[in-house]
Amino acid sequence: MTKSENLMVIEDLSLEYSERVSLFRRTQRLALSRLSFSIRRGETLGIVGNNGSGKSTLLKVLAGIFAPDSGRIVRCYENISLLSISPGYDPELSGRENAILGGMLLGNSKQEMIGAIPEILDFAELNHVADQPMRTYSTGMRARLGFSVAFKTNAEVLLIDEILSVGDHSFQEKATEELTKRLNSSQTVVLVSHSLDQVALLCDRVLWINRGSLIKIGPSHSVIREYRDSNT
Amino acid sequence: MGLSKTHLLNVFFLKLWFNIKSEVSKTYLQFLWWVLEPCLMVSIFYLVFGVFFSNGADDYIIFLLCGNIPYFWFSKSVMNSTNAVIDGGTLINQVALPKAIFPMLVVFQDLVKQIVVFACLIVFFSIYGVDTNEFWIYLPIIILTQLLLIVAASLLVAGITPFFPDLKFLVDTGLLILMFSSGVFFRYQDVIPDKFHDLYFLNPIAALLMNYRNVIIYNSPPDWSSLMLMAASSLAVIAVLLVFYRRNETRYARIVAK
Repeated sequence: MTKSENLMVIEDLSLEYSERVSLFRRTQRLALSRLSFSIRRGETLGIVGNNGSGKSTLLKVLAGIFAPDSGRIVRCYENISLLSISPGYDPELSGRENAILGGMLLGNSKQEMIGAIPEILDFAELNHVADQPMRTYSTGMRARLGFSVAFKTNAEVLLIDEILSVGDHSFQEKATEELTKRLNSSQTVVLVSHSLDQVALLCDRVLWINRGSLIKIGPSHSVIREYRDSNT
Repeated sequence: MGLSKTHLLNVFFLKLWFNIKSEVSKTYLQFLWWVLEPCLMVSIFYLVFGVFFSNGADDYIIFLLCGNIPYFWFSKSVMNSTNAVIDGGTLINQVALPKAIFPMLVVFQDLVKQIVVFACLIVFFSIYGVDTNEFWIYLPIIILTQLLLIVAASLLVAGITPFFPDLKFLVDTGLLILMFSSGVFFRYQDVIPDKFHDLYFLNPIAALLMNYRNVIIYNSPPDWSSLMLMAASSLAVIAVLLVFYRRNETRYARIVAK
């Protein structure tokens, strides 16, 4: 098994949003246009691009939530997980219950989640409200719990969409540290972030897309430099 | 890709339990509503048809209960399922799940409530003095047949509504038509001319209510041919719908995107 083995090969992938405007009229918008690239085992691939460039859509296609309209994806792994802050959280249920169910939706077994709960609550600093209904939580508390649950998943490929922008400053530092640990342990990660510094810090390679088309893919510092230049 | 079948089952039952817990915690009277709501409904029907229209037949309340309770089970499950996939939009956009899970959660949540309602109903019957007979052992079969019908109808409305939201209104109207046309509060022998009985029993709810009453009130066995036909056609519809869900699995996420 070489380091540069491909875990996922994306060939000529396109996806079009079709929206009904009236009874017989529909508008089409190309969200992803003929993307081809590959994801290597163990690497951290960053995705950058302006708002509406198709970053989140691409992650959903990679996660298998959306099917592409054309092109194909070759997958060579067991499981993949799109980390989200709140997979199906119910505001009436306690943080503990939501954490267990949320972790199971990300692919963990019930036993794993019950075992991991003390650690999750510690990390999220939510021990004192663990059994309160989640509707009483602040946005930051919810996000902290979501992040802590998300990082319990043991999927081979992690897809991360802006997840690091949660919580207050000290939690963000803690979260970034936790993520860095994960990245160094041969985990394959695809990371979408608006923070270019973070992408530069964490990613081996960067994919730059604009309006659904691939502009450039390559080593992170050079792609990020060009992306920065294009925006100024 | 995706979660294994056993894992999905574990998720399903935990989510079912949590959904019930969550729903119960939203009201003051909590799960008392499971029984109170049907009681209120039946009281209104009894007041209107038993008292105002003086449908003075003896034991009209028993006749009414045998129609109302199964009908409300069907209509509530189908109505609650209409938006099941759409309401699951957030989750659907985060995790690749089989979408049929969402209406099935609704159906099972309503099934749990219905079991409690049926239990209370039997208690009421025995207090009222309804004689049990040997045909009562067939009741679970009638209930299971109705469950199959509910699964088929719920999968149908939940699967189609995301593509065709207008269906919501048709479902509401359809359920109302069913309520008035299925013999919930009238004896079909009194209302439907003999020569139309075969046609009348093509309505599965009418056939179900006839079977419940055969067993509970008229001391006779259920009409096996109608039950078999209903079970078989429900299973066929469920099979077709599961193929439909599978074919459209990734289209739902785009339609219900939030």
